[in-house]
Amino acid sequence: MSARRGAAALTAAAGWAVAAWLLWRTSVPSSVRLPRLDPHEFFGPAQLRAAASFSRVSGALWWGGTATELAALAVFARFGGRWARESAAGPVGTGMLLGMLGFALVWAVELPFGVAGLWWQRRHGIAHTGYLSYLFGDWAALGGEFVFLSFALAIVMGLARRLGRWWWAAAAPAFTALVVLFAFVGPYLLSTHRLGDASLAAAARRLEGRQGVGPVPVVVERVHDATSLPNAETSGLGPSRRIVLWDTLVDGRFGERELEVVVAHEIGHLAHEDIWRQVGWFALFAFPGTLLIGLATRRRGGMGEPAAVPLSLLVLVALQLAALPAQNAISRRIEAAADWSALDATRDPAAATTLFRRFVPTTLDEPSPGLLDYVFRESHPTIMQRLAMVRAWRSRRR
Amino acid sequence: MLSGMEAHRDPHPVRLLVRDDLHRRRLTVFFRLVLAIPHILWVLLWTFLVVFAAVATYLAALVRGRPPAPLHVFLSAYVRYLTHLNAYLWLVADPYPGFSGAGDEYPVDVELPGPAAQSRWAILFRLPLAIPSLLLATALGGGGQVRFFTGSTSRTTFSGGGGALAGTAAVLGWFASLARGAMPKGLRDAGAYSVGYTAQVLAYLLLVTDRYPDSDPTAMLEEVERPPVHPVHLVGDAHDLRRSRVTVLLRLPLSLPHLVWLALWSVVAVLASIANWLVTLVRGRPAEPLHRFLSRFVRYQLHVSAFLYLAANSFPGFAGVEGVYPLDLALPGPERQSRPRTGFRLLLAVPALIVSGALGWGLFVTAVLTWFVALARGRAPWGLRNVAGYALRYSAQTSAYVLLLTDAYPHASPLEGAEPSQLSFDELE
Repeated sequence: MSARRGAAALTAAAGWAVAAWLLWRTSVPSSVRLPRLDPHEFFGPAQLRAAASFSRVSGALWWGGTATELAALAVFARFGGRWARESAAGPVGTGMLLGMLGFALVWAVELPFGVAGLWWQRRHGIAHTGYLSYLFGDWAALGGEFVFLSFALAIVMGLARRLGRWWWAAAAPAFTALVVLFAFVGPYLLSTHRLGDASLAAAARRLEGRQGVGPVPVVVERVHDATSLPNAETSGLGPSRRIVLWDTLVDGRFGERELEVVVAHEIGHLAHEDIWRQVGWFALFAFPGTLLIGLATRRRGGMGEPAAVPLSLLVLVALQLAALPAQNAISRRIEAAADWSALDATRDPAAATTLFRRFVPTTLDEPSPGLLDYVFRESHPTIMQRLAMVRAWRSRRR
Repeated sequence: MLSGMEAHRDPHPVRLLVRDDLHRRRLTVFFRLVLAIPHILWVLLWTFLVVFAAVATYLAALVRGRPPAPLHVFLSAYVRYLTHLNAYLWLVADPYPGFSGAGDEYPVDVELPGPAAQSRWAILFRLPLAIPSLLLATALGGGGQVRFFTGSTSRTTFSGGGGALAGTAAVLGWFASLARGAMPKGLRDAGAYSVGYTAQVLAYLLLVTDRYPDSDPTAMLEEVERPPVHPVHLVGDAHDLRRSRVTVLLRLPLSLPHLVWLALWSVVAVLASIANWLVTLVRGRPAEPLHRFLSRFVRYQLHVSAFLYLAANSFPGFAGVEGVYPLDLALPGPERQSRPRTGFRLLLAVPALIVSGALGWGLFVTAVLTWFVALARGRAPWGLRNVAGYALRYSAQTSAYVLLLTDAYPHASPLEGAEPSQLSFDELE
């Protein structure tokens, strides 16, 4: 590597590190230390057993599905190129064909794990989706993924054919722009209705004021046909911003004060501009990710050649898996900050404690999962961490 | 090439004979349905008897391995009579048919085989085996409707009826015959093909033959004179029947990017065609850049449809480039066009659009059937592929006509045009 290139690489790495440091900052005071809590203090033995049993199988299915996906893609990377002969579409079109075939393969090999997961969730009353509906009911979404994948490959291959080895430098911003577009458009694609609970809506207005966020619509999404899991999310950018509550959250299982904590948590995300923060993290991962894909596929002629596409899918999925611990750590940090904001805004640690305690019987989440599951599968702080944060907040207030 | 392929295939024992001269008497055309009432009553009665005869034939053939001769004669007469009646109803022929189903009495007739030994397995499973051909007959043919009666006992009957193509050709042919005193050859050929295919399906179902119906339009209308070459016609490798099972299995999702792209392209094509219409109206010939753009669009439309409906194997490109896809389209250059025909192009295109719609339904059924066969055998059946080729060719001709790439009206004949050396699709270029 020449000195000039080395300097450029160092500058880029320094820029990356500064950006990562800026995004990593959190509103949770650095002096906060989470106490170690005993799950038995909050949950009965039966609840803990049920959660552990549920998580064990769910975890096994997740790991099985992931390993199978990687194995299938490895086989596809080795032999998938032979399907290029079924194309009369030129290099880019052929690459799209191979990409879609690889995606279909992944979908097919993951299907048994998905069905098994559905069976497991149905058995525990968490999922209500029928098997036929699971297999055949969501073709539009699957079709959308086919289209998006082929569109993404057209971008990558088109750039690679024009820019050669530097395609990744243009592809990363292009995909970041797409993420921004989807983040903006996403809320408009959801079928939701206005929140009917007037007092909760009024509480949302009050909490928005406390957290310094302008009026944002609070809407309800109908999901109870598919699941009993309670959930909420913040979505959208600018005028499309909204707080989405699943109807399973407002079905009477949670009290008004607990729901206020949830809404305050979501407003916390808005206050911290967390969608933009996630876009920023996406961009930071996209640059090295696309660069590594570019490097890995050079021996097959680079991403401008269809022969590189099967390998690129394998590399992409492997990189996603490798980045998952870091992404989960980032996500947990963002969620922890929203929890802290919710506590500051509601000043109701008792409601927060009740809310988090209720999560265990309703979601069957393990309060304190094993290390591997924690690192790879937990995008939110564990229940015990959330309860510990409530206690830490309370002790600072005393 | 198709003729080469045909040389290696035995001709189907149920052979359609067309001696119709296209001439139609306006009076009998106008009252065609009313005049057919005695026949409709007669065929209902005959069908009632045929149900019993078919069951008896079925049981006897299962035991003996061949249908009994008297019943075979009776059922053959029924098939022949239905062919005459369908031809009359769908304006494929003009004379009033006899009531006996006698051979050689009608200009549209079928040759039927004598009673021959048949595989007992094929007899035993005749009804389920016939289902694909019945589906196609319903979509294309001039009869062969299946009616299921529920009650204490379920039974299935078959009667003369209408498929999408035959019915459409007849309705349009009715107006044309009243106006011109002659049936347009394209519509007559389309109707004849439907009638012939229905006859083969009935003959198979009623154990008159054990040969599966052959949907190849070229083989069906082998003795019918071909129409002149249309400037918009299919070219490519006629023997491209191999199908990759994986891409067949995933054909619909693999087509999605193309369908999205086609939808986007269509928006621009509509605007371009409006501009092309104005230019052609003023100059008497299309603008070259617009003609080129719209030619690519029509060719791309064909490539995508051929892929989606399994008429071709390869994943198509996104640009509609000529000469790269195994099933391609020959299109004329920007030639002089008649201004009156340009001015009223959309109105004039309505009948062609109706026929194209009818063929579209047949194309869909063909694709579904081909999907199963190709998945099992890794090959598309010759006959079904040629039906698809017929529907795609007509659709491309209609698009080219509507988008002012040519002022030659789409030709509804299932036969590809011109010299005997030319084939269903057609020249190996």
